[in-house]
Amino acid sequence: MSNAQEKGQLASAISSEVMIEVSKMNKWYGSFHVLKDIDLTVHKGERIVVCGPSGSGKSTLIRCINALEEHQEGDIIVDGIKLGKNLKNLDHIRTEVGMVFQNFNLFPHLTILENLTLGPIWVRKMGKAEAIETAMMYLERVKIPEQADKYPGQMSGGQQQRVAIARSLCMSPKIMLFDEPTSALDPEMIKEVLDTMVDLAETGMTMIVVTHEMGFAKTIADEVIFMDEGDIVERNKPEAFFGNPEHERTQKFLSQIL
Amino acid sequence: MAIIKATKTPARPEPLSETSVLGWLRKNLFSSAFNTVLTVFTIYVIYLTVSGVYVWGYADATFVAETRRECYGNSLTGACWAGVIDWLDNIFYGRYPRDELWRINFGGLLLAFWMAPLWIARAKGKVLVGASVVVFYPFLAGYLFSGGDKGLFMQVMVSGAIVAFVINMANAIVGILKQESIAQFIIKRLGQANKADKKQRNLLIGLVAVGFGAAYLWQSSWTVEFVTWTKWGGLFLTLVISGIGIASALPGGIILALGRRSKLPVLRVLSTGFIEIFRSVPLITVLFMATTMFPLFMREGFVLNNLVLVIIAVVLFNACYMAETVRAGLQAIPKGQAEGAHTIGLGYWGTMGLIIMPQALKHMIPNIVGSFIGLLKDTTLVSIIGLFDILGMLRSISKDVPWLGLHKEPLIFGAILFFIICFAMSKYSRHLEVKLSAGSNH
Ligand SMILES: Nc1ncnc2c1ncn2[C@@H]1O[C@H](COP(=O)(O)OP(=O)(O)O)[C@@H](O)[C@H]1O
Ligand SMILES: [Mg+2]
Repeated sequence: MSNAQEKGQLASAISSEVMIEVSKMNKWYGSFHVLKDIDLTVHKGERIVVCGPSGSGKSTLIRCINALEEHQEGDIIVDGIKLGKNLKNLDHIRTEVGMVFQNFNLFPHLTILENLTLGPIWVRKMGKAEAIETAMMYLERVKIPEQADKYPGQMSGGQQQRVAIARSLCMSPKIMLFDEPTSALDPEMIKEVLDTMVDLAETGMTMIVVTHEMGFAKTIADEVIFMDEGDIVERNKPEAFFGNPEHERTQKFLSQIL
Repeated sequence: MAIIKATKTPARPEPLSETSVLGWLRKNLFSSAFNTVLTVFTIYVIYLTVSGVYVWGYADATFVAETRRECYGNSLTGACWAGVIDWLDNIFYGRYPRDELWRINFGGLLLAFWMAPLWIARAKGKVLVGASVVVFYPFLAGYLFSGGDKGLFMQVMVSGAIVAFVINMANAIVGILKQESIAQFIIKRLGQANKADKKQRNLLIGLVAVGFGAAYLWQSSWTVEFVTWTKWGGLFLTLVISGIGIASALPGGIILALGRRSKLPVLRVLSTGFIEIFRSVPLITVLFMATTMFPLFMREGFVLNNLVLVIIAVVLFNACYMAETVRAGLQAIPKGQAEGAHTIGLGYWGTMGLIIMPQALKHMIPNIVGSFIGLLKDTTLVSIIGLFDILGMLRSISKDVPWLGLHKEPLIFGAILFFIICFAMSKYSRHLEVKLSAGSNH
């Protein structure tokens, strides 16, 4: 936490320690070149917002970082571990990196509490009582402790997404990835999820968030990345990014969504 | 816009057709001339059938007689149930020694008690109960039914089964009374509730080991008489074959389905080939292959009895069908579920066992029960290759000297028996389906 700096509305505490190091990474789906020569460094405590047109490869990028997808060329090093064919590394990475999806992906056959304690009990080998305690703590934090015994299908989208965030947090991850966490939600629920994410940002979590919520980006982002057709086109501080985008593609995109 | 109705419209009672029987009749059965003719005609046909069946099957039927001739002497127009009644023991138990029938009944009773906790809401640990049935019961029942000397392996498995059964029963009772598992109960009783998980586990393992020792000593003090498999028959044999088929088809099907979806090409090709070969051949062919061809490929002197061969064939055949049911069920689960599981660090088996499979199985219940019913009925094919299962027994009544030529009644009796069993199974599956979907359709 050496060079803590004051910016925007939210203090950030970026350490010099590198959490994610992507270098010259390329990925193809069949013959389709999705990600092209991606270079990306994320430090501990840094919060990155990724935006860009649909199909530009944002999801694919963060899925590669979480080893949900394989990349073909280049390196991805997460928390000092190089992603590759080594399955043990993959399992380890997945426990260190939490991910929140557009469609929540909660387990519909389990209660909220079971959704939250599953990972700690089966993967972290935590005792049941302790796991429940942790789960309740995170449910408090996302402000729905009273829903612990419900099933996901009984909750609103916004509540489900907050449960999904809590589920990831129960694994005490070092990094949290968000893939358009609010785009499947009704407008009145977006705020509650974004608030939860702002709270999380305040704890100093390393975050990569794919989102088009520009207000949110301005509040929490240390840097904003713009992707287009598999390239990282521009990376900048939010003020500069929104106030004075450098690249023509960025300008065009921003003019469309703002 | 003008006002269309100034006052509220009062509610009227529903039309007659919605409430009274008469209204219902008029609406559904006599709504037009054609409909009326159809109704009357149908009622007439039903009347003819029912009265015919009643007269033949009950009013004119003979229930007590020594021979078929005597039946005819009694009545020419009625059924001769006396033959079926005379053969009831054979139909149910085959040629199993009459003094030893209690073993079969006792085995059936054990199974009923063993599985009962699955239906008791307050009993805990249903998954363990189910698993213990599949793992231990076959050995205990196998020994009960066939008897003879227990080898070391059998001794161990029988002792294990006894311990599992006793624990299961105790667990069910504690569950009903206190709504907790037997493990929790014992830990609390011994005042160990605050001790570390590991200590508690060691204590329980110790107790089970002591129980196992006691069971081992006890079971070595008795044996039951040997009954060779050729004496097994009737409904008993049918249930043994289809029971083993049912119990192993699902696990086998799950393994094959997972193999077919595996990322390892060798495993995938092997499973796919295996499934496709068995699925493209009729069961009767598989049975003939198993009993006539298979022994030809074996070394001289290596004899597996026909019953074992038949059971293996039935199990493999049904596992392959089940594999496709399971595969369809797995495909119905969205990809996001596996991804959600991966992000909390669950590996392949954790994801399958905790997330994918439980959801898929719920979807598959109707198909699974459908396969089970099919399996039960298909099992009668073994009578063609010379096993005296229930169908074999029913057909041999007509070859028994006093009852020569008595075909109809035994087969009808068999049909009724099968209908009852299969209908109960399918009703139960409906019930399960409704219950499970009620549990998740929030
Ligand atoms: N599993 C896949 N197979 C083939 N093509 C895919 C797959 N997933 C995504 N794509 C393609 O890759 C491109 C990038 O997708 P994605 O990363 O989801 O974009 P974004 O999240 O930026 O909208 C899109 O053109 C999409 O059609
Ligand atoms: Mg996307």
